[in-house]
Amino acid sequence: MQKKTAYSFPDEILEHVFSFIQSGKDRNAASVVCKSWYEIERWCRRKIFVGNCYAVSPTMVIRRFPDIRSIELKGKPHFADFNLVPDGWGGYVLPWISEMAGAYPWLEEIRLKRMVVTDESLELVAKSFTNLQVLVLFSCEGFSTDGLAAIAASCKNLRELDLRDSEVDDLSGHWLNHFPDTYTSLVSLNISCLGSDDVSFSALERLVGRCPNLRRLLLNREVPLDKIANLLSRAPQLIEFGTGTYAAELRSDVYSNLAEAFCNCKELKCLSGFWDAVPAYLPVIYSVCSRLTSLNLSYAPIQNPDLTKLVSQCPSLQRMLVLDYIEDSGLEVLASSCKDLQELRVFPSDPFGEEPNVSLTEKGLVAVSSGCPKLQSVLYFCRQMSNAALVTIAQNCPNFTRFRLCLLDPKIADYRTLQPLDVGFGAIVEHCKDLRRLSLSGLLTDRVFEYIGMHAKKLEMLSVAFAGESDLALHHVLSGCESLRKLEIMNCPFGDKALLANAAKLETMRSLWMSSCSVSLGACKMLGQKMPRLNIEVMDEKGPPDSRAESDPVDKLYIYRSVAGPRFDMPPFVWTMDEDFASELS
Amino acid sequence: MELQLGLALPPPPLIPIETFDLNSYGNYETREALGTNALSWPLLKLGPADNDINNIHHHNSSSSSSSSGGGAGCKKRSFDEAPVFDEKRNVPKTLHLLLWTNQPNDEDDDPSNVLHENSSSAIFKNDGEGLVGWPPVKTWRKKVHHQIPNGGAENNRLPAVENGIGGRASKSTYVKVKMEGVPIARKIDLSVHHSFEGLTNTLMRMFGISDGNRKSFKLTYQDREGDWLLAEDVPWRTFIRSLKCLKLIRSRG
Repeated sequence: MQKKTAYSFPDEILEHVFSFIQSGKDRNAASVVCKSWYEIERWCRRKIFVGNCYAVSPTMVIRRFPDIRSIELKGKPHFADFNLVPDGWGGYVLPWISEMAGAYPWLEEIRLKRMVVTDESLELVAKSFTNLQVLVLFSCEGFSTDGLAAIAASCKNLRELDLRDSEVDDLSGHWLNHFPDTYTSLVSLNISCLGSDDVSFSALERLVGRCPNLRRLLLNREVPLDKIANLLSRAPQLIEFGTGTYAAELRSDVYSNLAEAFCNCKELKCLSGFWDAVPAYLPVIYSVCSRLTSLNLSYAPIQNPDLTKLVSQCPSLQRMLVLDYIEDSGLEVLASSCKDLQELRVFPSDPFGEEPNVSLTEKGLVAVSSGCPKLQSVLYFCRQMSNAALVTIAQNCPNFTRFRLCLLDPKIADYRTLQPLDVGFGAIVEHCKDLRRLSLSGLLTDRVFEYIGMHAKKLEMLSVAFAGESDLALHHVLSGCESLRKLEIMNCPFGDKALLANAAKLETMRSLWMSSCSVSLGACKMLGQKMPRLNIEVMDEKGPPDSRAESDPVDKLYIYRSVAGPRFDMPPFVWTMDEDFASELS
Repeated sequence: MELQLGLALPPPPLIPIETFDLNSYGNYETREALGTNALSWPLLKLGPADNDINNIHHHNSSSSSSSSGGGAGCKKRSFDEAPVFDEKRNVPKTLHLLLWTNQPNDEDDDPSNVLHENSSSAIFKNDGEGLVGWPPVKTWRKKVHHQIPNGGAENNRLPAVENGIGGRASKSTYVKVKMEGVPIARKIDLSVHHSFEGLTNTLMRMFGISDGNRKSFKLTYQDREGDWLLAEDVPWRTFIRSLKCLKLIRSRG
């Protein structure tokens, strides 16, 4: 018998050690130490995250990891959220489900983002994974309530069903009824995206009533206000609740029932929903306010002073989502009341209006940055900004991890000095050393990109629109941002030079999106030929790119690294620039 | 057209930053001519480019645009000095498919005309609401704003679902539109249309059908039961309530 050397552990011990390593990155690191660690690790990996479903094929995943219990897949590029990716682009989950059905019968968790999920896929999920506990469909589309019915009927161990932001085709049919009466394991249910005919209210009530572990319930808009009290009284253990429409004529019985129901939810910490909210019913939640850590009022057309009054009663808030009706004055109150605030998102109530309809300016954000020392994550839509304000914000909040500023007028300058906003954003990247995500807007020259390349060493995702003057800008980013994973660019005058000079960088990133820029077809073809581990996809709805000259700019360009080679499910308006493409045209 | 869009490709970077005149970046004009709810980009009068970041700490609120802006004292690097392949910097070695030289590409024709031809169609190819993809607000969030009363004055009204879209079961006001013979489906926002006339106009524009050819197309829709019907056979409200998707077919005879 071969003696093990003093340097080797028995496999079982290593496996036990690995079981404490949960993070995918750490596991990846462990797997490249040596061959035996690679082998042991791959057999005991249970959870996998695939940031781009086309970067690898299901076959490859299954071959390497034979026993996965939890998978997360992402499909379309982020700009699909803003209608920049035409229908039919791709991101189909069926091939994954089909292969996993045979290979992972014990799969427990499926999390999908921006993927096309069909009823057929859902039916296959229901049939194949009897132990499914978590199904999250985040910004997905392509399925109907029939698919949901299949899940409800078969997945006896389902704990979490979350359809956030998905587009679901309504077909008449009460899919909630398909949860059998014996089913009691629901812990989290998010149906906030569903339309009117999709939810049978009595079935929902019965479901809520028989699931004692239900902690998270996000209703859809069509659930009327007067039904909420009943639901809440069946689930006083809720931690997170999303209302439906929060508007009705004021009736004292409805009001008092609702107030009592909220009061009895002693563990409620997160509230959302509030569609079409009316001020009359807001005080009903006052009893909960002091405990609230997360409040999403971004669908509520509530204005000051009601809005500010509500906010001032929530001293424990860590996460606040709101419309710009809060205005600078409301944000000042937020800054003085909510010292634990970590995340703020302010959405535009009238994004397409030409004139401001509310008094929300840079001052609100400065106030919050000054008053809330724990602020880490910001998404802020407004209509004016100054470099001075951005510098102040940066100095106040060196701990920012996410900073997304959207000035509604795409190329607006510093309103006080009429200068570009380069210096302001430069201050953000210089002071916020842990910044992982940044979205730029306003008038910006190449200079801001120089600052970004110089300082933003931890930046992983950068979103750029209507900015920069030349390829130098793109070159600064690609050559300077060491941690860059995702870069998305629209309407910038960036051409071939920076891309070609930094081709190798693209293999270190997950993806690059460029639309309405100046990258030529010739450059795309060259990249396709020289970089076999990149998929270069050109999108053009006007016709095949070979009908135009090599120097013509392509409409949309999506580049991503992949070990699976070019994909085969492309629609007619997507062309992949691989070697074949280049050769068949020359 | 190129001036309207303000996307004129700037001259190749021969000019150091200090003297780059952003006035020549582009003239901005309103796009009322397009009849969309377009953003108007004001004509900007801009001074010399702003100071480099090392001077931030010396500024108070109004950044000076003159003294330390241009000239010799500036710590900005001009393009010629920019250290591109600086071994001291810890960046991944770039594979140059093109050596970065800071020289203009002589072989480039002025691509500005071509760019605008393509980008103008890219930008204005939209669902009736200005720039595609801007502002970056998710589709279903846009819908919320359509239903908020102007100024939010009537907060104690019942939810404003009576905008013609009320009753539509699906949350999104966008529906798919296909045209016979065209493989790519498009999406159109129903909430901005209030009549067949307006809807048809938008569809004709979207698919590039000229006025003369309008007669040869008919608008059909699929209702919730899955049947295909002629759009103009039913009243507008019925149409809106029951339609799932649209198709333009060539009328025969």
